[in-house]
Amino acid sequence: MTRLFLTTALTVGLALPAFAVQPAAGEKLAENQSYTFWLLDAIKTSDPHKNTDVEGSDIIRQLFEGLLNEDAKGAPIAGVATSFDVSDDKLTYTFHLRPEAKWSNGDPVTAGDFVYSWQRLANPDTASEYAWFMELMNVENATAVVKGEKKPEELGVKALDEHTLEVKLTTPTPYFPKMVTHASTFPVNQKVVEAEGDNWTQPGKLVGNGAYVLKSHDLGVQISMDKNPNYWDAANVVMEHIKGLTVNDNNVALTRFQAGELDRVQIPAGQYPRLEKEAPAEAISIPYSCTYAYLFNLRDNGPEALKDVRVRKALSYAMQRDVVVNQILQGGQKPAYNWTHWAIEGFKMPEIDYASFSQADRLEKAKALLAEAGYGPDKPLKVTLQYNTDENHKKIAVAAQQFFKQLGVQVELNNVEWKVHTDRLQSGDFQMARYAWCADYNEASTFLDYFRSTGMNYGKYSNAEFDKLMDESKASNDPNAQYTAAEKILAEDMPLIPIYQYAKVDMIRDDIKGLPTENVMNDWYAKDIYRIQK
Amino acid sequence: MFGYILRRLAVAIPTLLLLIVVSFLLMHAAPGGPFTQERALPPQVLANLNAKYGLDDPLWLQIVHYVWGIVAHFDFGPSFVYPDRSVNQIIAAGFPVTLTYGALSFAAAVIFGVSLGVTAAIRQNSWIDYLAVGTSIGAQVLPNFVMAPILVLIFTLWLGWLPGGGWGGPIYWIMPVIALSTSFMASIARITRSSMLEVLGSNHIRTARAKGLPERKVILRHALKPAMLPVISYLGPAFVTMITGSVVVDMYFSTGGIGRSFVDSALNRDYAVMMGITILVGALTILFSLVVDVLYAWVDPKIRY
Repeated sequence: MTRLFLTTALTVGLALPAFAVQPAAGEKLAENQSYTFWLLDAIKTSDPHKNTDVEGSDIIRQLFEGLLNEDAKGAPIAGVATSFDVSDDKLTYTFHLRPEAKWSNGDPVTAGDFVYSWQRLANPDTASEYAWFMELMNVENATAVVKGEKKPEELGVKALDEHTLEVKLTTPTPYFPKMVTHASTFPVNQKVVEAEGDNWTQPGKLVGNGAYVLKSHDLGVQISMDKNPNYWDAANVVMEHIKGLTVNDNNVALTRFQAGELDRVQIPAGQYPRLEKEAPAEAISIPYSCTYAYLFNLRDNGPEALKDVRVRKALSYAMQRDVVVNQILQGGQKPAYNWTHWAIEGFKMPEIDYASFSQADRLEKAKALLAEAGYGPDKPLKVTLQYNTDENHKKIAVAAQQFFKQLGVQVELNNVEWKVHTDRLQSGDFQMARYAWCADYNEASTFLDYFRSTGMNYGKYSNAEFDKLMDESKASNDPNAQYTAAEKILAEDMPLIPIYQYAKVDMIRDDIKGLPTENVMNDWYAKDIYRIQK
Repeated sequence: MFGYILRRLAVAIPTLLLLIVVSFLLMHAAPGGPFTQERALPPQVLANLNAKYGLDDPLWLQIVHYVWGIVAHFDFGPSFVYPDRSVNQIIAAGFPVTLTYGALSFAAAVIFGVSLGVTAAIRQNSWIDYLAVGTSIGAQVLPNFVMAPILVLIFTLWLGWLPGGGWGGPIYWIMPVIALSTSFMASIARITRSSMLEVLGSNHIRTARAKGLPERKVILRHALKPAMLPVISYLGPAFVTMITGSVVVDMYFSTGGIGRSFVDSALNRDYAVMMGITILVGALTILFSLVVDVLYAWVDPKIRY
């Protein structure tokens, strides 16, 4: 058994809290320790196993705590678990839970809670829309349990005793510790869930083990949380009250931020250059782990023209990413010539051939490739581009239409609402579709596994060499070797047009300290922030 | 009159049923469903979800179950998208909000609109008249989704007098009411003005003046009522437009009203909430048109049902 400690900080301070909030020298704490943040939409649920979106995860991360948390840079640190061991064959993880962890109703948090919760996530009766995460983690029997072929009790997770949790995987997954910071792996209190049924998440009933408890929730208006006195690290939590205000319009939200009603808000598209000048202490642009692309439909019954790799490469070369990033978005996003986000932890950006060409060069090559494929003025290429309703998607699509026109390609734009867009992606009813992929965990495979033949892969791209590389990467000591080769295959086969990699472009009040600016997952914990006196 | 009202209410029931059936069918015709997610659900999970919400029954059976639930238990079912709330809870939370600012907007639009229109008509071609007409045209080119962010800018950011959104006491009502009522007030003012001008030129007014009645009595007692007829006909469609306008108000002022829930439920394919609010709005529209028709009869004795 190899004993593995989490980070140096943890090894050094096993007796210390995992991540203590410490004002820097010269900073005095303000009287008012409350934080108000912006929500675009109503929160669908505070149940970790039924949540599906990022805003929901942000709330859940304050009310519950998983095995591990993330530090300011996104690396895993102690959460409920203080340390873990990995077996020599890398298939068994043993987590040691801290005995002082408590639920907000005073019950102790035990390994049994995690067993119940992980089984609940995978159980088809829960009908969780994130049950696939258990399969993604490669937990033993996860797939069979989710399908209903095996009982939830047969899931590869066991409580060896009150404070020791054993997880068995089917294949070595070196980034597994990074995956257990995900909200869907958080524990829930079995007694409360079974007693209250679907209503257990309402204020007054919800019991969590996080740093905050739910005080009130007006659907579509606001959600308020207060510091949880039973949290094991409550002594070090400075922020007392947190509140999420729903404002459905980004511009009105910005106005309210400027009026002092919000402490953090997203900057509406196109306003970053102005706000960066007017309020440099408050405007930030930090990398955010999503990539934006146009996906090609490569199914057998898909468009014939797009089956030719020269056509796909031509379209990708003709895309003027700099225009998109500098003229349309103007938020500090980076142009993308590859799939994995450049700021993912540990990922080494490979050298992609067409990334280093000049745009004029790329256009020349694109024209040549298209002509080679047999398209020209007498046989123009016609293709449809589908995108879901959004100002920016529209702008980028209209621009793309012009870029492709330079090749003589006629693009028909098709704007549909999100559910219809998703439905068509899943059923393969598209030619080129706007797409974005966000990392589920802070490691490159969350991106690259998408394009496996068995991956989510809505375009149904398939390359045996690619699949083999991804398989090898799991057992490799330095997976970057495989990842680089895999990205190069994507650049050769071009199953997508990568366009840009996201940035989080926000205004944050300058007296709020502790929000992560170097965590590409942007998983923030209110227990780590504090307000200083100005 | 009483018989008329009863007949109208009796017709309302098959109207509502037709509304339910048509909405149900249209809803299910749209691609995508409540459980269409980024990642396609595993078949077993999808089967469980469909079973839980009765989506695997044939459509006609779903409609029957649904109508029975409402008629027998007044239960509009669980929300498909918010697992810890029922439709009844969502409507109970949102409807009072919409009703409050909706009723206030209506009242404000009618009171100010009529006053402005009458004043403009009495002082025709004076500066008051030009001001009134000018204001009303100006207000009509400011739709509520333009007014709303401007109001927040002025009253929250620049003046700091009002909170930018949310719901609570009367201070939260002011901006939503202004945003929603302004264009209606403008229309009502113009309709009142032209209708009033027409009535003031009619024979019975000339007689009243000839009799020596004070001008105020002539206006308020003899001219106002007949002048109201076109305004009352306008109120019916205005009511419906206000319901849709409330979506914008909910969006910009985060009031938590049902307007936003309505749009959200359509985009999320939350069939239960969509149906619930459709029925509510349908029933209110039917009720309101009945009220308008009864008002006609009260204002104009020549109208008989």
